[in-house]
Amino acid sequence: MKIISLAGFLLLSLASALRPQAPAAAALEVAGAVATPLRLTAADLAALPRAGVETRSDGLAVRFEGVWMHEVLKKAGVPAGTELRGKALASFVIAEAQDGYQVVFSLAELDPMFTDSQVLLADTANGKPLSGAQGPFRLVAPKEKRGARSIRMLTRLEVVQLRKEVAGARR
Amino acid sequence: MKRVRQGAFILALTLIRLAAEPFDFRLSPGFPRPPVPENNPMSAAKVALGRYLFYDTRLSVNGKQSCASCHRQEFAFTDGRARALGTTGELHPRSSMSLVNVAYAPALTWADPKLDSLEQQALVPMLGTEPVELGLRGQESRALQDLQRLPLYQRLFAAAFPGEDDPFRLENVTKALAAFQRTIISTRSPYDRYRYGGDESAISGAAKRGEVLFFSGEKAGCFQCHGGWNFSGPVRYEGGPSVEPEYHNTGLYEKYAAPNTGLERHTGNPQDAGKFRAPTLRNIAVTAPYMHDGAIASLEEAVEHYSQGGRAAANPNRSTILRPFRLTAAEKADLIEFLRSLTDEKLLKDPRWSDPWR
Repeated sequence: MKIISLAGFLLLSLASALRPQAPAAAALEVAGAVATPLRLTAADLAALPRAGVETRSDGLAVRFEGVWMHEVLKKAGVPAGTELRGKALASFVIAEAQDGYQVVFSLAELDPMFTDSQVLLADTANGKPLSGAQGPFRLVAPKEKRGARSIRMLTRLEVVQLRKEVAGARR
Repeated sequence: MKRVRQGAFILALTLIRLAAEPFDFRLSPGFPRPPVPENNPMSAAKVALGRYLFYDTRLSVNGKQSCASCHRQEFAFTDGRARALGTTGELHPRSSMSLVNVAYAPALTWADPKLDSLEQQALVPMLGTEPVELGLRGQESRALQDLQRLPLYQRLFAAAFPGEDDPFRLENVTKALAAFQRTIISTRSPYDRYRYGGDESAISGAAKRGEVLFFSGEKAGCFQCHGGWNFSGPVRYEGGPSVEPEYHNTGLYEKYAAPNTGLERHTGNPQDAGKFRAPTLRNIAVTAPYMHDGAIASLEEAVEHYSQGGRAAANPNRSTILRPFRLTAAEKADLIEFLRSLTDEKLLKDPRWSDPWR
């Protein structure tokens, strides 16, 4: 009897393990030197202050919507504005794509108190969720002349505090 | 009487409005208009004339070939051959290029950075002697007289070049041919419907996986040369910057023999040897064989070539973008499926660009 129930239990667990699960909503990880690590889904991004930009890459007009990068970093507790000083000014964000492609932005490059440059964490294009080689998340830097930092298939933002050893300097 | 006057007034207004309206390229939403030279504005009449001329064998020395002989609509305006064949049987050293979206190209032909006008380019196949393509050199007046004899052309030239006493000039032939070619625009492939139209069902799962490989620099990374919406690298468009063409040595040969030395032939710089323009990959599935001389027979072979980082990887001018990459057999199939999703079936059959003489 015991053996049968054990076998039954095993079968049940096996069945539940094999049962197709609804795919987990794709999430963007915000990690590293942040006060609050985040896992952001499209629903989370929808709840943050929304912004949009129209790009004309090779003349093709596309309207991207999402959240400014500085809003995302603020939510993760990364110093911004007047707080962005001292060591924080030597911090940078590694944006990483699903295939391992990586680009870097310094925190000041993303901060509207430092610069008018804009970097959008986009989740829709022309009103439709980003898919395939575009999404589900990407960065859009409409003011940059080359598209290479407008990283697609974005999966992770990692904040790194740079500590360059300087000879003779005290840490 | 009053009614007639009113009718004439409305007709005049309509004509004025039609003349003022920009030419309709029938672009998909968001796509830019191609640049049009100021001295050759677009008109429906000019495009109509250009279409007849494009398909007219009177524009060859022996009446055997037209532009369309090497630029066939069913092959996305290529000819299906490794190397093009001229009207007198002379073999061209290079492969006929697609005319699809040629209006956006920052430079024409495989490797001539100075040739960026379709009007100028039309003279190359007509009058060129190395090689002879249509073989019209010295026969220009005879050909123009042949055209002039047709009542059809009397009407078409007059409509295309209104107000000209004698519109039967070679310059007008090239203008009409250029205007016609500017209309050959493809933005309606299944991939366009998927990517820009938001139609998730427009392409297969395999093509979607292939898209990721295509755009991944860590995988195949094809987009690094065949980038942008035209899959060709830089494009020019109305109101856009005057971008320069890019040329790449894809490591096809250890040494590129004359006359196929590519950009070097035009710049004289040995470091430019073997560099050619990246053609659009739109409709690439119907434009085999590939490369400037048709050396690669199939898409499978092309993917193989690039996965080795170029079969002649030792070429010193080989693009630094190229490096070997490893794809599984399934991934290669996905990549090719993606390339097939760039075929615009409507373009291959659209009567706007078909032979009007048939």
